[in-house]
Amino acid sequence: MDAIRIPAPQELDGLDDEHFRQVVRAFLHENYPEELRNPPKRLHWSENRPWYMKLAEKGWLCPGWPKEYGGLGLSPAKQIILTEEYERYGVARTNDHGIVMLGPLVIKYGTEAQKRFFLPKILTGEHIWCQGYSEPNAGSDLAALRTEAVLDGDHYVVNGQKIWTTLAMDANWIFLLVRTDKQAKKQEGISFLLVDMKTPGITVRPIINLEMHDEFCETFFDNVRVPKENLVGQLNKGWDMAKALLGFERIFLGSPRQSGYALSRLKLLAERMGCWEDAEFQDRYARLRLEFEDLKALFGVYVEKLKRGESLGPDVSMLKVIQTELFQKITDCMLEIAGENAGLLEPMEGNRDLNIGGLFIQARPASIYGGSNEIQRNILSKNVLGLPG
Amino acid sequence: MSAAPMDDRAESIRMIRDSAAAVAPPGGELKRVRDLRFQDPGFDAGVFRQMGEMGWIGLRLPEALGGAGLGLGEACALAEELGAGLVPEPLIPAMLSAGLLAAAGGKGALPVLLAGEVVVLTAWQEHPDTLEVPGTPDASRRFLPMAAGADFFLVPQQEGGRLALYELSAARSAVTVERTQDGGNLGMLTPNLREATKLADDIGPALAEALDEAALLTGAYLLGGMERAFAMTLDYLRTRQQFGRIIGTFQALQHRAADVKMQIALTRASIESAAAALDAGASGDARRAAVSRAKARAADAAMRVTRECIQLHGGIGYTDQYDVGLYLRKAMVLTNQYGSAALHRRRFMAVSPKVEE
Ligand SMILES: Cc1cc2nc3c(=O)[nH]c(=O)nc-3n(C[C@H](O)[C@H](O)[C@H](O)COP(=O)(O)OP(=O)(O)OC[C@H]3O[C@@H](n4cnc5c(N)ncnc54)[C@H](O)[C@@H]3O)c2cc1C
Repeated sequence: MDAIRIPAPQELDGLDDEHFRQVVRAFLHENYPEELRNPPKRLHWSENRPWYMKLAEKGWLCPGWPKEYGGLGLSPAKQIILTEEYERYGVARTNDHGIVMLGPLVIKYGTEAQKRFFLPKILTGEHIWCQGYSEPNAGSDLAALRTEAVLDGDHYVVNGQKIWTTLAMDANWIFLLVRTDKQAKKQEGISFLLVDMKTPGITVRPIINLEMHDEFCETFFDNVRVPKENLVGQLNKGWDMAKALLGFERIFLGSPRQSGYALSRLKLLAERMGCWEDAEFQDRYARLRLEFEDLKALFGVYVEKLKRGESLGPDVSMLKVIQTELFQKITDCMLEIAGENAGLLEPMEGNRDLNIGGLFIQARPASIYGGSNEIQRNILSKNVLGLPG
Repeated sequence: MSAAPMDDRAESIRMIRDSAAAVAPPGGELKRVRDLRFQDPGFDAGVFRQMGEMGWIGLRLPEALGGAGLGLGEACALAEELGAGLVPEPLIPAMLSAGLLAAAGGKGALPVLLAGEVVVLTAWQEHPDTLEVPGTPDASRRFLPMAAGADFFLVPQQEGGRLALYELSAARSAVTVERTQDGGNLGMLTPNLREATKLADDIGPALAEALDEAALLTGAYLLGGMERAFAMTLDYLRTRQQFGRIIGTFQALQHRAADVKMQIALTRASIESAAAALDAGASGDARRAAVSRAKARAADAAMRVTRECIQLHGGIGYTDQYDVGLYLRKAMVLTNQYGSAALHRRRFMAVSPKVEE
């Protein structure tokens, strides 16, 4: 590859799309640690820290944030290109809750003081965030959450339990949805609170997931004192802010990239198993491939809307359902053609690209997190189609 | 298998189901199973011996050879119970080996195998997803279930157009082992027949039949797993509350549960009718068609059912600590063992024209 000059971060948004794509490729080639390409499991902070810090050092950490806050200020279209190239290169997902969720939330709803305090610390990697929404009895019905925060002088005192907190053991800050008014209608008594995980009274207990990986946690709060100024937005308005973020999460989860990655692995596996040329397999692959292409086209419709500055309606739920179920169908197909290799715990032949069982298992929770597919279908039938009930 | 009157037969199947409780606690307690996972050899040799003492390894062999002389109806019922309890001991591969040793005239390790004192695995497979046994000299034999705990291997080898059978001590064999999703292992053996004893000259037909039985029993094992995973899921649907309601009251979930039930019903009908057909003497293509129909159904249904069970549980279904996931992981290992659904569908189509009407 010809040496492509990598412009300063603030110039990136001004490049034309194709040039930008070449720059991203060159950047990854120069900076991304080879040994972290396509890791078989979600990496812990200790593993992806070097990459995270490299992004921080180069000023590339927060592509979507406005430049004035230290982001790259990339348009949605360029963010998509960036993601595509990361995906193509096999870039591991980082501990990105601060980058993709908390940062944008603080930028939108935070006070000046909160912006000055929190944003730079995300940009330097000093603060690593996790998301504390779900509770044992508040999953799909998130608004039923019971972890409560009671004002006591200058502090909120937090008591309760969160669960399924992804990578909480790696994080030093957590953003919480907490109940601040028990009398109000359930959505109206919820607030958004930022908590330093070193505060006394917090216990984090890892949970081993189906991949045999300690990726999510239970997080307990026992009289945890949180300074009053760590409340974001208005008291009892946390639900609306969280919902605004969930909309973003839905388009993120509807991105075709997971399916694209899985498809490329399915092809490799089919070649390895010797069935790639079979007419029957070709038909199966074609179905999956065309669904992928159609999903990409549909995704593009939503990206265009974002580009025009429109906000996305509840119909964006379609993307998440189609994407996650396609991802699952592709990994089902991998299992079906792999013969006895389907049952192996480790990637076949020690080849990370043939991580059959691992990918199959990783595809399972995609239809559970970020609003289960049943919930997305409820949204579609009620809020989009307007069916009664 | 002599044609016993129906009532006796039902009684015999009920007894074998009851006896399975010795190894697979009916309450669904999986602590023993969990403790054995990801350890070598992945099962308990003491429990394997107990299986021998209960006559399970020789369940299908004639009494004259030390077996119990029971049919596939009984064997499938037993496999189903073991599947419900995710029992890891390699009973199905051991029954296959017992069948071969019996066909070889009761030679070799047969008596100690039937007693459960040794684990004998048949190293027949050279490629993934196949039921063909080329018997290529010196070729590695792959995907041996629970090879980490084998004492002997039986190796079929092509000699003069027929498959001869050799017995080889595991202690003198080169075996590499990979772990599987269910916490067990699959081994690859590079046989050194200079160290082996020849037991038979022509084992081909017996091996083909034994592989069919193993495929059917694997389907039955999967059926047991589906039933138990579904029972756990129904319990969850009846107790878990969200939005102030029991989630089992949501019609979307009720329909999914009904769909799962239909898959299980089809699997049971397929397995039980295949077992009955074989017990009634079906042979050749009719036998192969019945087995393939049952294994194709069980392989697909097991994946579909266990996947649904995870989804219907939400987050807790994606934890290792909650038992429903163990059934998915077991299904991942067994779905393609002794032939994938696609292989069995192909084989069904290849033999079915000759068995229709
Ligand atoms: C891998 C993973 C990572 C996660 N990471 C995080 C995280 O970092 N932070 C965080 O806060 N949470 C996280 N979660 C939690 C996730 O958001 C919840 O699991 C999800 O909201 C579902 O809730 P639940 O698990 O309690 O299932 P439940 O809500 O109990 O659902 C059980 C079943 O019932 C169905 N169901 C529920 N209500 C309805 C209805 N009205 N109609 C039809 N069907 C319904 C569901 O779809 C599901 O099939 C994570 C989950 C997973 C699996």
